[in-house]
Amino acid sequence: MRRAGTGFGNGRLFRFTAALLAAAMLTAGCGGAGGGTGGARTNGPEAGGGDGSAADGRPVVVTSIYPLYFLASGIGGALADVANLVPAGVEPHDWTPKSRDLARIAGADLFLVTGTGFEGWTDELLEGIGADAGVLIAEAGAGIELIPLEPDAGAHGRDHEQGGHRNGHGHEGAVDPHIWVSPKSMLKMAENVRDALIRVDPEHADAYEANHRALAGRLEALDQAYERGLSGLSRRDIVVSHRAFAYLCRDYGLNQIAVMGLNPEEEPKAQDLKRIVAFVRENGIRYIFFEELVSDRLARTLAEEAGAETLVLNPVEGLTPEQEAAGEDFVTIMEKNLQNLIKALQ
Amino acid sequence: MDLLTMEFFRRALIGGALIAASGPLLGLFLVLRRLSMIGDTLSHVSVAGVAAGYLLGLGSPAAGGMAAALLASLAVERLRRAYKTYAELSIAILMAGGIALASLLFSLDRGFGVNITSYLFGSIYTLNDADLTAIAAVTAVVLAAVALQYKEWFLMTFDEDAAAVGGLPVRALNLGMSVLTALVIGVSIKIVGALLVSALLTIPAACGLLAARSFRQSALLAVGVAEAAMLAGLLAAGFWNLAPGATVVLLLIAVLLATLIFRRRPRL
Repeated sequence: MRRAGTGFGNGRLFRFTAALLAAAMLTAGCGGAGGGTGGARTNGPEAGGGDGSAADGRPVVVTSIYPLYFLASGIGGALADVANLVPAGVEPHDWTPKSRDLARIAGADLFLVTGTGFEGWTDELLEGIGADAGVLIAEAGAGIELIPLEPDAGAHGRDHEQGGHRNGHGHEGAVDPHIWVSPKSMLKMAENVRDALIRVDPEHADAYEANHRALAGRLEALDQAYERGLSGLSRRDIVVSHRAFAYLCRDYGLNQIAVMGLNPEEEPKAQDLKRIVAFVRENGIRYIFFEELVSDRLARTLAEEAGAETLVLNPVEGLTPEQEAAGEDFVTIMEKNLQNLIKALQ
Repeated sequence: MDLLTMEFFRRALIGGALIAASGPLLGLFLVLRRLSMIGDTLSHVSVAGVAAGYLLGLGSPAAGGMAAALLASLAVERLRRAYKTYAELSIAILMAGGIALASLLFSLDRGFGVNITSYLFGSIYTLNDADLTAIAAVTAVVLAAVALQYKEWFLMTFDEDAAAVGGLPVRALNLGMSVLTALVIGVSIKIVGALLVSALLTIPAACGLLAARSFRQSALLAVGVAEAAMLAGLLAAGFWNLAPGATVVLLLIAVLLATLIFRRRPRL
């Protein structure tokens, strides 16, 4: 978990169990989508390999994680039937697709992924539904310069000599997958999503263009707020619990020091904690950031040790049910992030 | 070494020392009752409990887990009585049930709003005042219970029927032990993680049973071994930057191996 360490890895054990369960459902023949337990969608695998459009003829779009859903539903508007795979509030690292998810993707016209290896399950999943399902798979992150994950990518301050951190997600040729945590990359991703929507539904190209312009306007305003808000601040170092802000830091000239690696579930180690406490003290850092979906125990421990306070910095991997109910979205959460960043860096 | 000046590390040493007293002491009884795996069982059931708590809208993440651990512990006791000679069957059944329930709850399509396991399984480096108070209270209760009921539990552990015939309130004693077990495991899992709890319940007791000549001696030996491994393990992990829970557990196993090799051979 992490998340503070799960010790021996009960988290892992659970994921393993969940994976077994998913595998069992798979071999049982992908039939699970029938009953429609509270699903927003009724077109299941019965729709079969065809174009899989929704009953009302709208293109069916499936996104892997929330930021892509935000873009697709914003640009698709009422014209597209958009569903997200990883449910609100679930750590995407912990998620594996279930039979109903496979059925959703198989019945979709467009499957949007980040294109960073974040969706480690994509390949297996595509094998599962077969290449001939007629689904366009689009990488929203195309064209964004990806940040490679080096074991020692400055994550632990400058004097980190033991590059002991695993590359988080454990994929080969690893890049940092958190591309969406920056308005600048979201602007690029919005263009890609628009183009993908136009490809599967060229008839409504004009409407998608118009929706995109509106959404891009919000993202540009957000980008400018970040530029303005962060430019005048002398402090540049942010201490975060989970290494998810590399793109934000690159785009706005900040420097992230992460307590844990990319995977928030590793068990913390004493010398690492000590080093971060020393860094916080030496640089007079006043706030340590933690994210909402994961327990804040570690951030609190460090803050207490170093005489600092804690603040939320949300990597926007999903919305909690409360945030959803309150009408929050990617932009409002990033606005809150900006306020907290300004507070910490003043 | 300047780690000792760090508050989080001192808290880890204190919390570790407390759990290393209560865990093995209770563990010795549990092992003799053939419930060695109850730590794992209760941790899995706790996950299901936390998940259920979220779905039902209970506020605190820990409450659902603790309630589930308590219920499971009572269920283990019930099953244990139903299958007298196969006590381990009870924990196997509940383990399966706990994993299944957790998997099912996690597979429901709605999110939980939080990363459940991060709340459930803590790290020994992140103890706060409330955690230390909880560990201290639980340890005090365990020590007091064992001191007051040592003879009764001892009798009951070795021959439940004879204890009942002898007029002991076996039911109440069993109930007390179940509640205490849930309390110790429930509190410690949240604080130090499931691995360390399971290991502290069993490995020191295994050492004690091998090397000691009496029950009292095994209890003392178990606590001694656990304390030594805990303090040495935390210091080693701190110094060499290793995962603390894993280091302590491997040290415990090293002590067990040494005990196996060097114990007095039975005389013939």
